[in-house]
Amino acid sequence: MRRYETVFILNPELPEDQHKLLFDKLNGLVPEDQGTLVKLDEWGHKRLAYEIKKHTRGYYVLMDFCGDGALVHEIERNLRLDDRVLKYMTVLKDNAVDMEALEAELEAAKEQTPKPEPVEEATGEGEEKGDSEPTGTGEASVTEADPSENTPETSNQEEQENGTI
Amino acid sequence: MARYKRKRRLFRRRKVCRFCADTSLTIDYKDPRTLRFFTTERGKIIPRRVSGNCAKHQRELTRAIKRARTIALMPYAATLSHY
Repeated sequence: MRRYETVFILNPELPEDQHKLLFDKLNGLVPEDQGTLVKLDEWGHKRLAYEIKKHTRGYYVLMDFCGDGALVHEIERNLRLDDRVLKYMTVLKDNAVDMEALEAELEAAKEQTPKPEPVEEATGEGEEKGDSEPTGTGEASVTEADPSENTPETSNQEEQENGTI
Repeated sequence: MARYKRKRRLFRRRKVCRFCADTSLTIDYKDPRTLRFFTTERGKIIPRRVSGNCAKHQRELTRAIKRARTIALMPYAATLSHY
């Protein structure tokens, strides 16, 4: 397994709701070739350094995934055929992916952004979701406790400062 | 001869590879703001003898700039009005 990164530029006039359709199609390709999608990062509208197909602006999207050459070939073929895509580039990031490290990374990413995950997991993995929720609340309670401890200190400091002044 | 020597002393400055000196600075094609330091206004890559980069980092930098050009983050040839 290798790790790749594909940047592609979408037509800037493409409406936002069309983006989702295209991303779903691309994401669907990844598991077909035994690949793993790490993340899909939308950079948004950016000015192009030079004109591409008469456009001076473009909508940049970064796709980070693991897979084999066949998967890259398939993704690039789809991007090439799609005329909503102005340009694309795939870069090899890592020649041999450590699956354990990757899974740990994915887990970390999940905890950071819990919003999109429940939609995907709602179909099958209810138990895991149930497990992850208490830990999340536990962390939340800890983080909530910290500010309450901190606030008196800060207020004291402020009082002291005010007193000295 | 003496004049030559003096001239050298006046204009020569020790050049250090910026990426070796500051390890937090990374070379990435997705970050054209950093890469822009190493190109001319016209978009040409500044040579190693001018920028003072070490061979390894210059190589990485060149690769990054060329990648950034491919995906239109940096220009192949910029007009001066861009800046």
